[in-house]
Amino acid sequence: MKTILQAKGLWKEFDGTKILKGIDVSVNEGEFVAIMGQSGSGKSTLLYNISGMDRATNGEISFDGEDTSSIDDEKMSNIRLKKMGFIFQQSHLLKTLSIRDNIVLPGFKAKSDSRENVNAYAAELMKRTGIDQIADHDIKKVSGGQLQRAAICRALINHPDIIFGDEPTGALNSSASKEIMDIINEINAEGTTLMLVTHDAKVAARADRVIFLSDGNITDEIVLGKYEEKAFSERENKLTQWLGKQVF
Amino acid sequence: MNMNLKMLKNDFNRNRAGNVSLLLFMTLVSGLVVVATIVVTQLIISMMGMYSTAKPPHFLQMHKGEINQELIDEFNSSYDGVTAWQTLSMINVYGDDLKVYGDDVFSLSDLRLDISLVKQNEEYDLLLDEDRNVININKGEIGIPVILLDSYDINLGDTVVLSSKGVTKEFKVTAFVRDAQMNSTLCSSTRILISDEDFDELFGNVGEIEYLIESYFTDSSMASDFKTAYEKAGLPQDGQAVTYSVIFLLSAFRDIAMAMVLILVSMLLVMVALMCIKYTVMATLEEEIGEIGTMKAIGMSYKDIRNLYLVKYKMMVVAGIVIGYVLALIMANVFTGHVSNTFGKQPVSILTIGLPVVGCILVYFVTNHYCKKILKKLKKVTVVDALVTGKGFGKKERVKDGLYKSKKMSVNLLMSVRETLHNFGGFTIIFMVMFIVLGIMIVPMNLINTMESKEFISYMGSSMDDILIEIDSGENLENRHEVIKNILNEDAEIKEYKEFRRVRVETIDSEDEWMNLHVDSGNSAGKELKYLDGKAPSMENEIALSKLNTDEMGKTTGDWIILRVNDVQEKFVISGIYQDVTSGGYTAKAIYTFAGVDAEKYQFTINLIDGVDAGEKASQWSDKIGGGYDIEPMEEFINQTLGGVTKQVEVATTAVVVIGILLEALIVVLFMKLRLAKDVAQIAAMKAIGFTNSNVRKQYLYKIGMVSIAGIIVGTLISNILGESIVSGALSMLGFGISRITFIINPWTAFVILPLVLLAVATGMTWISTRQIREYNIVSLINE
Repeated sequence: MKTILQAKGLWKEFDGTKILKGIDVSVNEGEFVAIMGQSGSGKSTLLYNISGMDRATNGEISFDGEDTSSIDDEKMSNIRLKKMGFIFQQSHLLKTLSIRDNIVLPGFKAKSDSRENVNAYAAELMKRTGIDQIADHDIKKVSGGQLQRAAICRALINHPDIIFGDEPTGALNSSASKEIMDIINEINAEGTTLMLVTHDAKVAARADRVIFLSDGNITDEIVLGKYEEKAFSERENKLTQWLGKQVF
Repeated sequence: MNMNLKMLKNDFNRNRAGNVSLLLFMTLVSGLVVVATIVVTQLIISMMGMYSTAKPPHFLQMHKGEINQELIDEFNSSYDGVTAWQTLSMINVYGDDLKVYGDDVFSLSDLRLDISLVKQNEEYDLLLDEDRNVININKGEIGIPVILLDSYDINLGDTVVLSSKGVTKEFKVTAFVRDAQMNSTLCSSTRILISDEDFDELFGNVGEIEYLIESYFTDSSMASDFKTAYEKAGLPQDGQAVTYSVIFLLSAFRDIAMAMVLILVSMLLVMVALMCIKYTVMATLEEEIGEIGTMKAIGMSYKDIRNLYLVKYKMMVVAGIVIGYVLALIMANVFTGHVSNTFGKQPVSILTIGLPVVGCILVYFVTNHYCKKILKKLKKVTVVDALVTGKGFGKKERVKDGLYKSKKMSVNLLMSVRETLHNFGGFTIIFMVMFIVLGIMIVPMNLINTMESKEFISYMGSSMDDILIEIDSGENLENRHEVIKNILNEDAEIKEYKEFRRVRVETIDSEDEWMNLHVDSGNSAGKELKYLDGKAPSMENEIALSKLNTDEMGKTTGDWIILRVNDVQEKFVISGIYQDVTSGGYTAKAIYTFAGVDAEKYQFTINLIDGVDAGEKASQWSDKIGGGYDIEPMEEFINQTLGGVTKQVEVATTAVVVIGILLEALIVVLFMKLRLAKDVAQIAAMKAIGFTNSNVRKQYLYKIGMVSIAGIIVGTLISNILGESIVSGALSMLGFGISRITFIINPWTAFVILPLVLLAVATGMTWISTRQIREYNIVSLINE
């Protein structure tokens, strides 16, 4: 299977503190990788550095065959716009735009497709994620779960090769969290690569592979295989047992 | 350290941009208020000081020709309230008769003012030096009016040679004269001081004699009634009559004009400063909503919390005012230079220092009251609003769906347009600043342009032609008139000329008393003037009157007036009312010839054929016919009359333009600092989804650009409309003969250069301010 994302010897220092200490990691096309670890282990830092949102102190990163560790900010922005999608713990939608406008915005910006087609795709995504009824709503007047669905739609609008998530269900209750993760699994099943950070075993149990970070190093990983809902308990147990062995 | 001082220090460091701006505004506002107050105070004190020493007359009648002093004495002694009177002799000479030998050699031939040689008086109407001492001139010395120094390079020690009627006499310049009575280029004459011996030697041998008949009253306000009685008594009146209030006004006009500009600017700046205070305070409150909520949650009252903020702002306001006051005191000389030059050196008085303090206290109270008003918002916000719902102060940005409907517009522009349109309130400060800054620049600029333009002549009772020739009363008036007519008739480079003959007739004022009326008669009389109402006379029984005349007569367009011409009464209908600043604003225009009435003066306005230079032509005629005629290109005439005023307004306007641009730059930087701090999460979100730094910067550039353009458009419209009304109102209040001025606008400056400069400053400052976006770390901002 083709490797879409790869990092070699990734180091990140901040104010003299080493946060990532020479990490090697790769993600295959269509794979769903979850990153776990204790607070301060460097999991979010890894996600942001590998996605080019932050600059690593040292190391190489290649995305889709291109070395992204040394390209300029403008080019990186363009890659983020057209080939990557992001879902954060908070939705980070633009508060002056409606739900629908937030979703179509990256599509209009990327100009990869006509605006009519972007609008049509946004409508399809909203319907699929169950927010089509609130398309024209002010983002301040909808629930956290609905906002995260909108954020997912926004992340998908440019048909990205990969979606990065940083605790995408971290601010949601368990039922909203499950709904969001169902959508994320569906997206993955359709071929979009996923890499997300979570501290929630229920979320990580849906990933193909889970890697564990401790003190800036990948200390272990577990392969769970493709997600199937009926085998969820079994995957969760397996993961929980594995997590129990990790040094926190 | 005091708790409040500690808080102030911490807060200052935390929100440096906002606080520095607040401090600067208070400095600027109080500085301007102080300067404006100092100019006005110094002007009034200086004039009062000068007037108390110089004792200018309460009533003055100029007269050429014979006088009967006994009749004048009899009239004055029998008039109640007259405390003193005197008749002074002057020797009127032409500018060509006086040659100055200094760094350059030149004559005063192009001086528009009538020149009179005088000797020092004994008790009243004294001519003073720069220290307001009565000047004593020795034989062979001469004192030059200080108002001439604006136009001529004359220095102490220069030699002035008088050559007239075969007499040549040399003088050495030993003093510059402050003349309380004729202290402005707006007057028609100027007095040059020579010694008693020289005066007696020249009297009757050179030039021609003119008398100044002066009276003093127990109260200067009696002058107007005295004037009516004097004219009715048939006393000498072949010349202009002026009252104390007009003398005062003409002397002060130049500095009043500048003070008015400063006061206008100060008022507008106070408005801008209050807006900035509101913006800064609200930004701080929004930023500190968490702390405010916590303070409320632990039981602190509204007043406790308000006072924490209020003390901070009070201290900043006081600091700004103190700095502004001190700086203004240091810089005030730039603005009061003309006052000292014209009215003599005035020692700094308690009032000059004290009144600006009153102004500063007023600024403090206004600002303090305003801060209290803004901080009232603390009362309404609840703990839940502050800490739980995130509602804060309840100020919401409007969300309007519809971006998705756009078909073509670039995303950056689209987002900017939408935000500007839907949340314009968030940019009010930029809009208002552009609007106000443009206003404070454009109004005085338009005023200067109007005063400098050839068209301004229409406010001076004349038509807009290339050259103006005036022949004043005096010896051989009719002969001199013929000389000019011959010259004009023979010159092939003249397209056309108009001739006006001024006569003095009598009419009835609003109190049914006879009053003098100076009428310019001629076929084109009154044409091309600015009419407030009605039109120029077109029939022999029609007359157009200046605004001040109709006010005095209590008449309006269409009314009949009686004119007494050589003891015959004739009825004239008022065809229109125009504005005139010349002859004290009291003039009239008629086609009727008034045959049999002696002319007081003649005036010709000449249009040259295309390509002929008015300056060269005027010089050519002057050289040909010699002295005794005022021949000037129209623009030169205006410049000599109003040049001083224009220059003074120009000083103020230059200061305003510099301050305006700095202010604009400062406010845009302040706005952007606070705005970027507020928008930081949004910027991070945009960068995260793929917007580049330059995309985000462009969006701010578009937003500020659009709001600036809106401010500029509204500012241009309003300042062009209201500006005229403000200036007209001010001029009308001064009783200066103009009650409605129409700006003559230089379209390049007003509609192109100034707006573009302001737009460039706004967008330039925005672009510079947004450079910091490049430094934003998306990750830390997203995770905040």
